[in-house]
Amino acid sequence: MAKAINLSLRDALTRDENVLIFGEDVGALGGVFRITDGLQKAFGEERVFDTPLAESSIIGVAVGLALRGFRPVPEIQFDGFIYPAFEQIVSHVAKYRNRSGISLPITIRVPFGGNIGAVEHHSESPEAYFAHTAGLKVVTPSTPGDAYALLQTAIDDPDPVIFFEPKARYYLKEEIDPSARVPIGKARVAHEGSGVSVIAYGPTVSIALQAAKTAAAEQISLEVIDLRSLSPLDMDTVMASVRKTHRAVVVHEAPVFCGFGAEVAARISHDGFDLLEAPVARIGGLNVPYPPARYEKLYLPDVDRILQAADAALAYG
Amino acid sequence: MAEVVRVVAADDPVRALFSPAGELTADARSRLGLDAAALRELYRNMVLIRRADQEALNLQRQGELGLWGQYLGQEAIHVGAMTALRTEDWVFPSYREFGMAMIRGIDPADMLTLFRGLSHGPWDPRKYHFAPLAIPVATQVPHAVGFAMGCRLKHTDEVVLSTFGDGATSEGDWHEAMNFAGVFKAPVVFLCQNNYWAISVPLSKQTAGSIAERAQGYGFPGLRIDGNDVLGVYAAVRAAAARARQGDGPYLIEAVTYRMGAHTSSDDPTRYRPDSELQAWNAKDPIARYQAWLEQQGIIDEGTVAAIADAADSAAQAMRTRLTAMPVPPPGEAMFGRVYSNPPESFLQEREEFESSLEGS
Amino acid sequence: MADQTFRLPDLGEGLTEAQLVAWRVEEGARVDINTPLCEVETAKAVVVIPSPWAGTIQKLHARPGESVAVGEALVTITSAEATEAEATPGTLVGYGPGAPESGIRRKARTAAASVPESGGDTRAAPFVRQLAKEKGVDLAQVMGSGPGGRITRADVEAAASAPVVASATSTAAPSTDGERRISVVGIRKAIARQMVRSVSTIPQFTEFAVFDATNLMAAREQGKASGRSMTPLPYFIAAVVKAVKAYPLMNSSWDESRDEIIVKEAINVGIAVNTSQGLLVPVLRGADQLELTAIAEKSAQLIEGARAGTLPPGQMSGGTITVTNVGASGPVETGTPIINPPECCVVAFGAIKPRPMVVGGQVVARSGAWISISVDHRIVDGALATEFLTALVSELETISA
Repeated sequence: MAKAINLSLRDALTRDENVLIFGEDVGALGGVFRITDGLQKAFGEERVFDTPLAESSIIGVAVGLALRGFRPVPEIQFDGFIYPAFEQIVSHVAKYRNRSGISLPITIRVPFGGNIGAVEHHSESPEAYFAHTAGLKVVTPSTPGDAYALLQTAIDDPDPVIFFEPKARYYLKEEIDPSARVPIGKARVAHEGSGVSVIAYGPTVSIALQAAKTAAAEQISLEVIDLRSLSPLDMDTVMASVRKTHRAVVVHEAPVFCGFGAEVAARISHDGFDLLEAPVARIGGLNVPYPPARYEKLYLPDVDRILQAADAALAYG
Repeated sequence: MAEVVRVVAADDPVRALFSPAGELTADARSRLGLDAAALRELYRNMVLIRRADQEALNLQRQGELGLWGQYLGQEAIHVGAMTALRTEDWVFPSYREFGMAMIRGIDPADMLTLFRGLSHGPWDPRKYHFAPLAIPVATQVPHAVGFAMGCRLKHTDEVVLSTFGDGATSEGDWHEAMNFAGVFKAPVVFLCQNNYWAISVPLSKQTAGSIAERAQGYGFPGLRIDGNDVLGVYAAVRAAAARARQGDGPYLIEAVTYRMGAHTSSDDPTRYRPDSELQAWNAKDPIARYQAWLEQQGIIDEGTVAAIADAADSAAQAMRTRLTAMPVPPPGEAMFGRVYSNPPESFLQEREEFESSLEGS
Repeated sequence: MADQTFRLPDLGEGLTEAQLVAWRVEEGARVDINTPLCEVETAKAVVVIPSPWAGTIQKLHARPGESVAVGEALVTITSAEATEAEATPGTLVGYGPGAPESGIRRKARTAAASVPESGGDTRAAPFVRQLAKEKGVDLAQVMGSGPGGRITRADVEAAASAPVVASATSTAAPSTDGERRISVVGIRKAIARQMVRSVSTIPQFTEFAVFDATNLMAAREQGKASGRSMTPLPYFIAAVVKAVKAYPLMNSSWDESRDEIIVKEAINVGIAVNTSQGLLVPVLRGADQLELTAIAEKSAQLIEGARAGTLPPGQMSGGTITVTNVGASGPVETGTPIINPPECCVVAFGAIKPRPMVVGGQVVARSGAWISISVDHRIVDGALATEFLTALVSELETISA
């Protein structure tokens, strides 16, 4: 996936001379995950550059550059470091067009999620805060192919987009098609099934697919939906699935309490009340700060927990 | 205009000890008041913490730690600053100050559990007067200033050491904290460990200006010194702390050094810095330099050097043994135990459900 | 001396593999802790890996240029001194060899998921209710085969295939070769499902006894004389209740998902009723709180309601023990009743009639009836069942008016 994103950025820089990439260590180093490897060398320091260590201003400066006619693609180095920039994102990036009529075509790239054995602040899932903010679009790919295609769409979009990259999947490999495009606001059926709809995004899609594989061996059929886009949220795809299965489980790494899954579950329960043969379940993190690495596998959703929820949904009646 | 522009105090007891180039004057060096034993102790501590740092890197490569950020090359600052402080003085570190923590008496094996995925905060800050590690850059600096403001309000004479790197001086939090310190005349010694690199961003890209001279803008003095001279760092921190202790407010020391290792064990410095630069700084190694001076002064000999090296090896081995034998605290306590003072019922219920979901429960 | 295998750690926060660049040691070489072993290249950097143990290099597991996955064996070292951790280390994700991760796991998913307790009268999920509405099925008429008596989609669909009033077993399709096919729908289907569920999941055994009904009949006569005419049923129910109070385990349920026996406090007696639609079991709730006359009244109402098809769902569910009648008259004495899941016990009463008994060494004709109980052997063993049955017989034989 890292290479797919690298290629997508490269192609964006080629197609549009106004695209700028900047952030901490994105230039000479090529990014701490090597996502921007080689880009400064290829496109020069005026297109791809390192900034001082200042997240709030990285985003604030992006606002200014966008006003001046550029298409900024700033990077926030880790999910846990987005918070100094929260003000700029929520108060300005999200609201500028509403205030002034001027669109800010900013795409903010952020690696997110855990499961890499990291220290504090490197495994967060803050997507709900941003999906909750009108004026922003929030997306997250789960495959290299979608990473390439969704990023192209995000950069082209005149509205600001937060592009969450599941860092635990950076080394996931697959053949990609650079001509493919994934629209924002469209989920995909990652695996067809008929028994329970398992709705996931970002790093939990792989786990849901593993669960579907295990379930199949027990003659249980799970359908896996990869949301891809949190805001806007594609409820059509979700409801089509629930119409088929009548049972749903939502899975994310972020804590269940007030997590993004609550929005999905509420929508399903409301819009699809008469479709349900079991209550909608949510699987996710505990309501505690992300734990030290030795405990993260106990905190994060895994195949067993997804299957347990699917079992309960199927046994309900 | 006189009402608007404040002139920073002309009498600066820290600056008086240094040459314009930031070197401790011969006169100041001779009047430090440190006897041979104390001078040897500085050396011993630098060797000890460097050996621990190397062992930690080895442990990471062997899979015993998930990550390690070396402070190789910065030992003079760690040792010089900590020796100049009193034990009641609080230290607010960033994430690279393990050497300082060791000198404060925190067991390195305990500290390393932070990188072994066992704990986010393995020591009691109140026992050691050493705040928890702060990973998001510069976020610790306002904490340091607040603590110092508290000392002033309570009329106690502790001072606070707020330490950070060159990169931190770009963060908004740093500027706000510096300004607060000036306005409230907080008894804080700001110690910038300018090790030239913020991951791959060199000082020249981090700022177009001077770090030390920013202090003036916030209403107090700042001084750039040679951070690879343990005695220089010691003298500067001692003088700045004394000044703060008597109520004269904050001071910014910019100690110039070099990050000899990588940013962390995940980093590859060969991608962005030339080997020649590393070699040039190697030649200015703070421990080698101090050892040469001690030998020249007749304060240390080959035998003592060897004995100190051996003791450092043993300490490193003991740290390794203790760390690898560290038990894993029970998950319920580790994850839920310290979140709240008064945990709500729903929180306790969630903990119970979680604990009963574990094997063996 | 112990062989330990060092596996490739995750050297950089989430890496999955590394390429071996070069070995710094050979097989057979002696190494100390921290002696450089090899150089590997990760997605992030080229890194030298130092030896975690002192000893002799036994085997190098990769060749230069090869890719090694995190957790794959890199090198085996024969340790100079005996170590505590004899087992080869688990997968490393920067947490050190030894016990895998924290050595603590969440319990694996259980075979039967615990179904959440639904509060209130949620007899059917929203979709099932909607389906029932669409198909014109009255949920009150449907016996739920789901957990806790919940009505499932299948129950509704089965009910929808046959109208409620007409007999559920009557549709005969003509066929060839002298056979007749009866389509199985509605209540017949639901009964079938319950019976299969009962015999396939509950290991049940049956015990038999005969009780002397002389006192019971006398009490009945006395009752008739004072204007309270009652069938034997209320007496049976009252006796069962008394016996259950002495042996509460007979009033329980086996919870497979939690390995628990749920002992119910209230005694809700299901009364098996033969109706034109098939076997229905209305429930006399709180029988332990009722006087004999109340039992008689309510049970009569339940039987009438079941036959008329007018009972609401609340009176068709929640039973904790069932009683049934095997032949109110005629030659049939007794039978082996089938437990009504998820209960533990079913009590079957035979017809009360004169039969030969030995009293004081003499064969005399006395009123008597057979009782047979079928019991869940997971919950109750033979000895306890015998005690319960003995108590029940005792209660019935000592009825006073």
